[in-house]
Amino acid sequence: MKKEVLIKAIQEIVSPYTQDKTALQNISEDTDFITDLQINSANLVDIVLDIEEKFGIEIDNDSMAKMLNVKAAIEIIEIKCAANDRK
Amino acid sequence: MIGNDVVDLEKANLDSNWKRKGYLDKICTRSEQQLILQASVPAVMLWLIWSMKEAAYKIMNRKTGIRLYEPLKFICDELLTDGIQASGKISYLENNFYSQSEIEGSLLHSAVVSALPDFKNLHLQYLRPMPDYRDTFNCLPGFYLLTRNRSGLPEMIHTITGQKHAVSVSHHGSYLAVIYSDSLLLTD
Repeated sequence: MKKEVLIKAIQEIVSPYTQDKTALQNISEDTDFITDLQINSANLVDIVLDIEEKFGIEIDNDSMAKMLNVKAAIEIIEIKCAANDRK
Repeated sequence: MIGNDVVDLEKANLDSNWKRKGYLDKICTRSEQQLILQASVPAVMLWLIWSMKEAAYKIMNRKTGIRLYEPLKFICDELLTDGIQASGKISYLENNFYSQSEIEGSLLHSAVVSALPDFKNLHLQYLRPMPDYRDTFNCLPGFYLLTRNRSGLPEMIHTITGQKHAVSVSHHGSYLAVIYSDSLLLTD
């Protein structure tokens, strides 16, 4: 999947959890979920679960530990999807 | 070191659907989940445990500078509560922390320290969550000045000695809580 497509998908997923609509519109690989989008840490779990559902992947705890920004989320989605394809 | 976390229970209930499939498994251990499901008000027990984990994470993050999202590794234990106050223990790898919490209406606050005696000389101040909350704090009688450093982290400076004291600030919904210590310094 192309990076732009993944960023767009992540933008859609995080949208209900952020009040900062300007930051959401300007989302990029460098966007941090907590410091830039002001997402509550209790809602980060929802984002992890939403990504799991949307991409049909399972995000293990070590991967979740790093999922604080768009870049890390993209990397994890790519790795997990690739692993699914090999199955 | 000290850390705190405040939860606006009303906001938490609106913002989070903790009954969602998989939610608890990602943030709570089996025994924590049991405590939640057996509690008279499960949601309050969940946010109590969550605030203990968050406050302990704040200490770890300040100590190491490392940001990781791993709520399952902060394990709550020995949790006692009467519905108004609570105390407990949190462990993260080889680190142990102690918590004291209070619950009043939709306000839930946890203060966490790395050694039990640190609860002595610890102050808790609630403020309105306005952008000028530091000015409000600094107008209160006392010998402390609440500021923040270049990275945006709070600092509590004693106006006579000039020493930086241990401090933690938490904001959620309608609440903002500041804890600081007379005896512990920022570097302790």
